[in-house]
Amino acid sequence: MKVEEVKAYIESGILELYVLGDVTPAERLEVEAMAVKYPAVKDELAAIEKSLELYAKANELEPDDSRLENILNSLAYNSDESQISGLVNEARVLPIVKAQSNFYKYAFAASLALLIASVIALLNVYGRLKESTNLVASLQNQNHEIASTVSLKDGEIEVLRDPSFKLLKLQGTKISPAAAITVAWSPVKKKVWIDMATAKMPSNDKEHQYQLWALVAGKPVDLGVFDSDTTSRDMKEMKSITLADAFAVTLEKRGGSPTPTMDEMMVIGKF
Amino acid sequence: MSRRHKISLSEEELIAALGKREKIAAEALYDMYSASLFGVISRIVIDTDTAEDVLQDTFVKIWNSFASYSAEKGRLFTWMVNIARNLAIDKIRSKDFKNQNKNQELENNVTFIDEKRNTVYNPELLGIKVLVEKLKPEQKSILDLVYFKGYTHVEAADELGVPLGTIKTRLRMAIVQLRKNFN
Repeated sequence: MKVEEVKAYIESGILELYVLGDVTPAERLEVEAMAVKYPAVKDELAAIEKSLELYAKANELEPDDSRLENILNSLAYNSDESQISGLVNEARVLPIVKAQSNFYKYAFAASLALLIASVIALLNVYGRLKESTNLVASLQNQNHEIASTVSLKDGEIEVLRDPSFKLLKLQGTKISPAAAITVAWSPVKKKVWIDMATAKMPSNDKEHQYQLWALVAGKPVDLGVFDSDTTSRDMKEMKSITLADAFAVTLEKRGGSPTPTMDEMMVIGKF
Repeated sequence: MSRRHKISLSEEELIAALGKREKIAAEALYDMYSASLFGVISRIVIDTDTAEDVLQDTFVKIWNSFASYSAEKGRLFTWMVNIARNLAIDKIRSKDFKNQNKNQELENNVTFIDEKRNTVYNPELLGIKVLVEKLKPEQKSILDLVYFKGYTHVEAADELGVPLGTIKTRLRMAIVQLRKNFN
């Protein structure tokens, strides 16, 4: 290295930082190597050290005299080996660090336990919520069923209460003397109901259905089809009509026929 | 404790005695350097009792790790003051110290301490004190930050808001100024 380069190194300010202990390990090794190699660097370092030592002296403060005894008592001298090993092993800062790390360890463990407990509780609550939701859904279904049943029953009660309804019991014919069904008809409301609860119709197969007819001035008018159902407790509303002399039921092909098959007339009733 | 006669050894004698762990070395160390080290510690750690605790820790560490000191690499005081400064910084950065809320700004520290106590009158120091007076304010502030507050030059650059190169130059110029005392 040339003289100018050594001078530039000295003037870079690195030596001051070295004396102040403010260099990286690599810089420290470099400065020490330069000091060995170049007397100018070594002299510069010595001058910096001396000036800073004097600066500290210019700013010195006397500690309380009572400290001297404490300090002298805390040092181990070469005549007392056991005290030396005791002091060498001393690590004042360690307990604090350990306590800290223990604290975080426990805090972490506690957090983890809390997390697991929370997840379990959450799953439990979720399971119960699902049960409750299912229960609410099934209750809603029941509620709907009941509501529709009630509205149907309301309709049936109206039939019985309304004086404009006429009740007509259709009696069995020769081919089915035991058959019977009751028709409720209101010419005012133009409504026709049949009472399935009291109907005594022989059960029909899948290809056939009963068809209700009204006879108006001798002509049959279709009022809709129904199946025999001995379990039903309901009334069934049929098509509407304003005029009728008589009602009759015939057995027809499923879906009904445009004109009644007279041979298959099961019941009939006249006003 | 009654004030006894102060012991003063040459640096070579002191180093030799420290190597042998003789009690006289501890007393000499205290008599020769405790005030200088305590001056540095006190400007970092304001509370007097805590600063004296750090001084005691410093002596214990100097004593126990003396084997790692190498006279070829520098002066004894340079090595000791760096130990003192590091222990003082460790103290103010430690959790229990922060909880006591004993931190203060540097600007307050130096005046605070200088008002609080009368430093010992020492005619030998007149020359350097005159030179300290002649330091430019920006030189004094950088020197106090790194020497008495234990800032790294990088932290000082941040604190003062000037580039690293400027920090290094100011620091060097401040020390060059102090060196005129013995040139």
